Amino acid sequence: MNSRHKILNQLRSNGRAAETPGPWRSRRQFDDLAARFADALTAAKGECRRAGSLDDALDQLHQLLRELSAGKIVVNAEPPFIELDLPSRWPDFQWHTVGQSDGDLRAFCAAATVGLSGADAALAETGSVIVSSGPGRSRLATLLPEIHLALVPTSSLTADIFTWTAGRQGVLPANQIIVSGPSKTGDIEQTMAIGVHGPKRFIVILYDEG
Amino acid sequence: MSGVTQFRRKARIAISDIRLQGALEGATQKFRTGRTAALADLPDAGALRDHFKAIRQATIAQLADHLETFERNAQASGAQVHWAADGDEACRIITGIAQQHGVKLTTKSKSMTSEEIGLNDALADAGVEPVETDLGEWIVQLAGEPPSHIVGPALHKTRQQVAELLSKEAGKELDADDIPLLTAEARRMLRQKFLDAGLGISGANIGVAESGSIVLVTNEGNGRLVTSAPPVHIALMGIEKIAPTWDDAAVWLSLLARSATGQPLSVYTSVVTGPAKSDDIDGPQEVHIVLLDNGRSKLLNTPFEEVLQCIRCGACLNVCPVYRAAGGHSYGSHYSGPIGAVISPLLFGLEKHAALPQASTLCGACLDECPSRIDLPRMLLALRAEEVESGLIPLPERLLERAAARVMGNHRLLSAAGTGLRLGQIPLAQGETLNIPRRFNPAQDRRLPALPKKSFRQMWRDGDLDE
Ligand code: SF4
Repeated sequence: MNSRHKILNQLRSNGRAAETPGPWRSRRQFDDLAARFADALTAAKGECRRAGSLDDALDQLHQLLRELSAGKIVVNAEPPFIELDLPSRWPDFQWHTVGQSDGDLRAFCAAATVGLSGADAALAETGSVIVSSGPGRSRLATLLPEIHLALVPTSSLTADIFTWTAGRQGVLPANQIIVSGPSKTGDIEQTMAIGVHGPKRFIVILYDEG
Repeated sequence: MSGVTQFRRKARIAISDIRLQGALEGATQKFRTGRTAALADLPDAGALRDHFKAIRQATIAQLADHLETFERNAQASGAQVHWAADGDEACRIITGIAQQHGVKLTTKSKSMTSEEIGLNDALADAGVEPVETDLGEWIVQLAGEPPSHIVGPALHKTRQQVAELLSKEAGKELDADDIPLLTAEARRMLRQKFLDAGLGISGANIGVAESGSIVLVTNEGNGRLVTSAPPVHIALMGIEKIAPTWDDAAVWLSLLARSATGQPLSVYTSVVTGPAKSDDIDGPQEVHIVLLDNGRSKLLNTPFEEVLQCIRCGACLNVCPVYRAAGGHSYGSHYSGPIGAVISPLLFGLEKHAALPQASTLCGACLDECPSRIDLPRMLLALRAEEVESGLIPLPERLLERAAARVMGNHRLLSAAGTGLRLGQIPLAQGETLNIPRRFNPAQDRRLPALPKKSFRQMWRDGDLDE
């Protein structure tokens, strides 16, 4: 008998009927999802900037990239970046557009200052942004650079993880990440240190559409 | 040396180590206050924990069905699922995959399950170099020590000790007082390992049956790197870590980090559902999931079934007066604290870990903290009963307890003993307290009240209690 059968048989012969409780429904009510998101992200040592429109968000982004003297920037080919063609708009930086630029993506990401992404959803309660893998969406682009910068429309905000799972639809991507701040550790004398393996800064520009 | 004396010897050393005592108190207190604040921020933490307990209970009762669903969906996503009856089999499966891919270097994200089965030794024996990438876990790996806490593996190390280990690795002197620098150096050294590794090995905090996904939480981002950078990813998961649905996983996630470190969510929650899709730009080409039994399935339908509801948050360690004094290494098992005191004997043998069920005051603090409301004190008592029945208690203690039972069962003997003790304590008494000899009180932090002049029975007889 192989291990699979052995384990399942053992579990089955000692198991019993049981009713799993129904889903837990969110008990969160935030008057202002965006405000809660910004507070929670800030508490987790992330940074949140608010923008009144996508254009405003792009202005802030451009300003920020200049302040950071970003050299290499990798950008996921996903909303809101797809139509924007930032590399031709801001040719002062060195760009890699995922799935479109030539050259080694991994090496570029490892040397990049900034990784730009959009978001599938954002959780107000915890200040989290949800990012998926897929065509044009690199996992390493939001992981290897020094800074992960996400442009997130307020329409993607939901109250918490419960409202998010309740509204989730379709097949899961191979890789999905809930990001709640910059990489950190407390492993040396419980002293918080930022930027161990992942990005040292996590900046969200939260913008209103329309 | 019997397990019992070994625990006591190690604990005694730990208790007289002032530095370690400071580290333990600092770390556990930070975790404790963090947890309390994080749960208080929830609208209804108590009800959420009750709900979670109900989920875990029902899931474990029907674990076979959920595991089959998990397997089916994981396979549909393209992952390969393996079943391991014990640690050796899991090690064989994992080293086999590594060898098949000609892997020389593997990066690992922290996994207590891999510690449990001694995976690093097995990999090294098979010619594969395992590198731990959680900073704390890497520190203990460099030191050649086991982790001393489920969540903070290196919390017993000072920054000087850490700096020494990292300096050796970096080949240059690193300043112990500059923790950001130590962290940056670790980032630099491990970053290259991530990019060079042919295989990433992780544990799994949750397996979601509904979608066949593995969920992994880390703060540092090493979990993301291990599952994204190498061409092959293996996740090792205990069979009990199943959540039937995403709704259930959400409850789990909302309690896990809050209970462990006091964060609302860990920095990164990674959800892995199979290998990279054909149009994905990066990610592993192969994902393997190894489902480990190693003594878990036999606990179903026994008085110890409840331990299968554990999510390894470490909250019970942080409140345990014994863990806080003795530290993780005294337990002689990778699992320490109250949960370790219960599962180590259950998974690895009561004989080997006979001291652990004794390593508790039965104060019940662990039960109060546990997100799954696992009744560890009850199981500690049950294990003690088993120890008595199988003669695992050291002879002097057995004789002492037999004598105590005798005395307490007979009122004449009891009052005689009381008189004897009142006389006997005179040389030690200092006002209302007893001076405990240093041998039994190495840190001089224990207080014992002296026996009052009159016993309760005497007061009763003399009418002192009439009001
Ligand atoms: S027994 Fe409870 S408190 Fe202890 S580690 Fe497990 S889940 Fe956490």
